[in-house]
Amino acid sequence: MSTLHVVSHSPFTDGRLASCLRVCGAKDAILLCGDGAYALHNPALHSQGVKVFVLAEDSQARNLPVPDWASSVDYSGFVQLSIDYDKVNTWL
Amino acid sequence: MSKSLLVISRQAPWSGPSAREALDIVLAGGAFDLPIGLLFMDDGVFQLAPGQDAKAVQQKDLSANLQALGLFGIDDVFACSHSLTERGLTPPASAQPMDSAAISQLIDRYDQVITL
Amino acid sequence: MKFAIALFSAAHAPSSRRALLFAQAALAGGHEIVRLFFYQDGVYSAANSIVAPQDEQDIARQWREFVSQHQLDGVVCIAAALRRGVLNAEEATRYQRSAVNLEAPWALSGLGQLHDAAQAADRLICFGGP
Repeated sequence: MSTLHVVSHSPFTDGRLASCLRVCGAKDAILLCGDGAYALHNPALHSQGVKVFVLAEDSQARNLPVPDWASSVDYSGFVQLSIDYDKVNTWL
Repeated sequence: MSKSLLVISRQAPWSGPSAREALDIVLAGGAFDLPIGLLFMDDGVFQLAPGQDAKAVQQKDLSANLQALGLFGIDDVFACSHSLTERGLTPPASAQPMDSAAISQLIDRYDQVITL
Repeated sequence: MKFAIALFSAAHAPSSRRALLFAQAALAGGHEIVRLFFYQDGVYSAANSIVAPQDEQDIARQWREFVSQHQLDGVVCIAAALRRGVLNAEEATRYQRSAVNLEAPWALSGLGQLHDAAQAADRLICFGGP
């Protein structure tokens, strides 16, 4: 089974993304939203080799260019991701 | 067949109602005989630390709820060994220690996850 | 696809709005929402006592309108709500409180409703934090 991990805390002030990356499986992906989008500035995320999505409105609001290793999704894309992956684990 | 749920509790015990409310989800699921797992991770492992004194901060003792897990049929209780080591805690008897790879498989095994 | 949506944050948190937009997108995509369950600080997203400045989004009102319009099953956890002072008329009377800040379309009920929704749904999606 595959898991979509959703992270909305900034990785620069909070440990959620680090914990998430530790337990992220090979078939899993991470959706960054809210301040979690700041992780696009975190090269460590890319080097992990995990699939990364970002909620478009959050990268746009923060003026964060989306690197080629991440994909941007809108809300209908978010809904589709939650279906494509077997479960959604939001790091509340 | 019932869907299984893994609750990942990441909150320290005396930082507000969050740790208790996470446990309440687990106990409610147990009361309905649902297959529930509980994993303590990050500061959540502090809930398992010995010798805590809830009265010192005028709180209810969370360990009573933890002890009730078995009575509610919750036997799948785990603790993140990375989080334990990081905080200088020894693995408690009440939870099975798991490394990151095992936690990854654990999340994979359950139908649904709530991390709070 | 059947979704159960659980919200853990207050109306002023970005994640409350995010949950609302996800729910709207799910319905727009032809999916079903079996239940909305508001837990922890999520109970504040259902409070009708919130006064948003005129030039700001009133997410609690948008939630109310969304639930009413689509006749969704909107459940607020009773234990979490009581602890945070979110009361419907019945609970305000029971505990002799002067303020009532929860009304239809929201219903107060227990955590069993979260498990029931999770069982009935294909996906359980939680929103909370910032």
